[in-house]
Amino acid sequence: MSIRVELTYDMSKVLGLQHFEIESAATVREVVEQTETRFEGGEEFAKLARLAAIAVNGVLINHRKGMKTRLRDGDRVGFVKASAGG
Amino acid sequence: MIKGYAGRVLEIDLAKKSYSFEPLDEEIARLYIGGKGYGTRLLYDRTEAGIDPLGPLNPLIFATGPLNGSVAPQSNRFAVVCKSPLTGGIGNATCGGNFAYGMKRAGIDIIFISNQSERPIRIEVNGDLGEVVFLDAADLWGKGTYETQEILGKKKAHAVIGPAGENQVLYAGIVSNERIAGRTGVGAVMGSKRLKAISVMGTRKLEMDDPAAFKKYTKEIREMFKAHPVLGSSLKRYGTAGIVNTTNGRGMLPTKNFQRGHFDEAMTISGEYMEDHELVGVKSSCIHCPVTCGRDVEVDGKRVKGPEYETVALLGSNLEIGDLKKVSEWNFLADDLGMDTISLGGTLSFAMELQERGMFDAGVSFGDPEGISQLIRDIGHRHGVGNELADGSKKMSERLGGHDFAMHVKGLELSAYDPRGSFAQGVEYATTNRGGCHVQGASMYLESIGPLTINPQNLKLKADIPVLMQNTACAINSMVLCIFTTYGMFPEAIHNLDPNSLKYRMMSKAIENSGPIMRMAMEMKGKPMLWFEKWLTYITGETFSSGHLQEIGGRIFNLERMYNLREGLTAKDDTLPPRILNESIYEHMKAGHPLGELLPRYYKLRGWNVEGVPNPDTLDRLQVRV
Repeated sequence: MSIRVELTYDMSKVLGLQHFEIESAATVREVVEQTETRFEGGEEFAKLARLAAIAVNGVLINHRKGMKTRLRDGDRVGFVKASAGG
Repeated sequence: MIKGYAGRVLEIDLAKKSYSFEPLDEEIARLYIGGKGYGTRLLYDRTEAGIDPLGPLNPLIFATGPLNGSVAPQSNRFAVVCKSPLTGGIGNATCGGNFAYGMKRAGIDIIFISNQSERPIRIEVNGDLGEVVFLDAADLWGKGTYETQEILGKKKAHAVIGPAGENQVLYAGIVSNERIAGRTGVGAVMGSKRLKAISVMGTRKLEMDDPAAFKKYTKEIREMFKAHPVLGSSLKRYGTAGIVNTTNGRGMLPTKNFQRGHFDEAMTISGEYMEDHELVGVKSSCIHCPVTCGRDVEVDGKRVKGPEYETVALLGSNLEIGDLKKVSEWNFLADDLGMDTISLGGTLSFAMELQERGMFDAGVSFGDPEGISQLIRDIGHRHGVGNELADGSKKMSERLGGHDFAMHVKGLELSAYDPRGSFAQGVEYATTNRGGCHVQGASMYLESIGPLTINPQNLKLKADIPVLMQNTACAINSMVLCIFTTYGMFPEAIHNLDPNSLKYRMMSKAIENSGPIMRMAMEMKGKPMLWFEKWLTYITGETFSSGHLQEIGGRIFNLERMYNLREGLTAKDDTLPPRILNESIYEHMKAGHPLGELLPRYYKLRGWNVEGVPNPDTLDRLQVRV
């Protein structure tokens, strides 16, 4: 199993990488927990994660099953901050 | 005369080299405010159906509104209105820079330009003297927008075209400072008139009904903007390209001509990356705007305007280019030639896909920057294959095939929010009168990328949001304010909600089920509440509340609709590209955007019949005279 995790820019500066792979995670919550513990800067990451929406393969989980959203091999979990452009 | 208006319309006939100052029509001002609304009324009333958009009978209308000339943040934009050579329907675009301010200082609300000059010409307007001078512009013809403005100097405010406008590239724009009225080909219309530049000057001050209240309130709002998470923080810090990683995470970032919504190299074209690697300065090119969303980068050793979100998406991910330096170079080139980077990017990606399928040889490929700079120059000058691309993706698809992946609505190339991830935005694209554009409502902010989203991929509220947002945008584009002002409508507390919390999800669900209440609330006429309602009220002395603006916005939108119907557009044009309708980019979706399920409700909410024609009682209620 391989899950690609993509970070917001602020998270990537805290953790020192833009994206990484997780070999095993059944739910989104497990991805968040593993990210917090796996890298130096996990605490700072956790603070940023509380203000970020999460999308699995582009679909926002807060309109699905939230942190309990189940993952499959090849899924992409993206942290997404609210933003506005033009 | 209502306060806030200069009270004058400048009428210019380029064939006769004549001009006159006429009084502003107060009835039109009351019904349509100014800007896009006033301009649309003039276009409808003073043109016949079926005119050639690049012929002498298509007027070019520059229109300001009552907020222009004031110090209200984000308030110095002008609208340009004409028949679009790109879509054949209503053409309009708004622009920052300093021209709107210059027009009001010159004591002019509207400039109505008719007919065509035989030779390249430019116009200088001295509002204080009431004088218009017609000058030969042969020496400026062929020059870029930057050099042209430099030669014309800083004593006046200018609106100019570049070679793209001169050569009538169908998506050429009109430039003021570093900003562009980009969409629908208004620059091609100016080029067809052989009008290189308009320069205005004057010393008139804006008269307000209650200047003390305006001043005090504007000070408060300026502070509110400074503290706001979007207007005072993310837009200020990262510019509009700060949204790249958000749309990419959401699977909505156009990639490879909208074949995908996710680009692996998105980070390197983002506003955050720009801040850390390419930024050489921040400034606002729009007078009195504290948001300063403009970025400066370096191109060929020169400090120039950096690319905005739409540009990094359409000239970056959509071409599979993750090199911000290259995108910056192309952005500068397009601005100097004077053309819309959204339509340019959409047309380039279409040409690349045609090439990939062996249907056309444009000499450029996805993921490869080689040849793109030269092709952009060739488009601007209509040289070689550039001549083909200068007509936009719709006309190209009619000649070369590829209708299914020509990414436009009504001929206007799509903006950089893939509507398969944002259903209300899709309805907005399909129904917006000028075509596939995001700043005629910006529904995506409410449903999919802002601080409090609803489920953007079900049917709830997806026909309602576009109606309310399009009406709001019509009113805002008639004041004339920057659409970014609507981003201030969510207070800081909403931005601080945990998007995965129960509170957030409950609020989101409540909004999703609030259709009738939301409509009733927004349509109520009462006291002004929001800043732009108060500004309008303090300046004009008339009362503007949300209900008033919904009514005025609805009136403008329906008049635009009647213009399009008169020009032969029908409900069949209220659609999305077949790729968006038929191809899924999300694994849970069997097809693309469910427009067919949403359009009937949208028509009903608008008060239109099943053919998309406004019912007589709708036009009566909104006082749309046709």
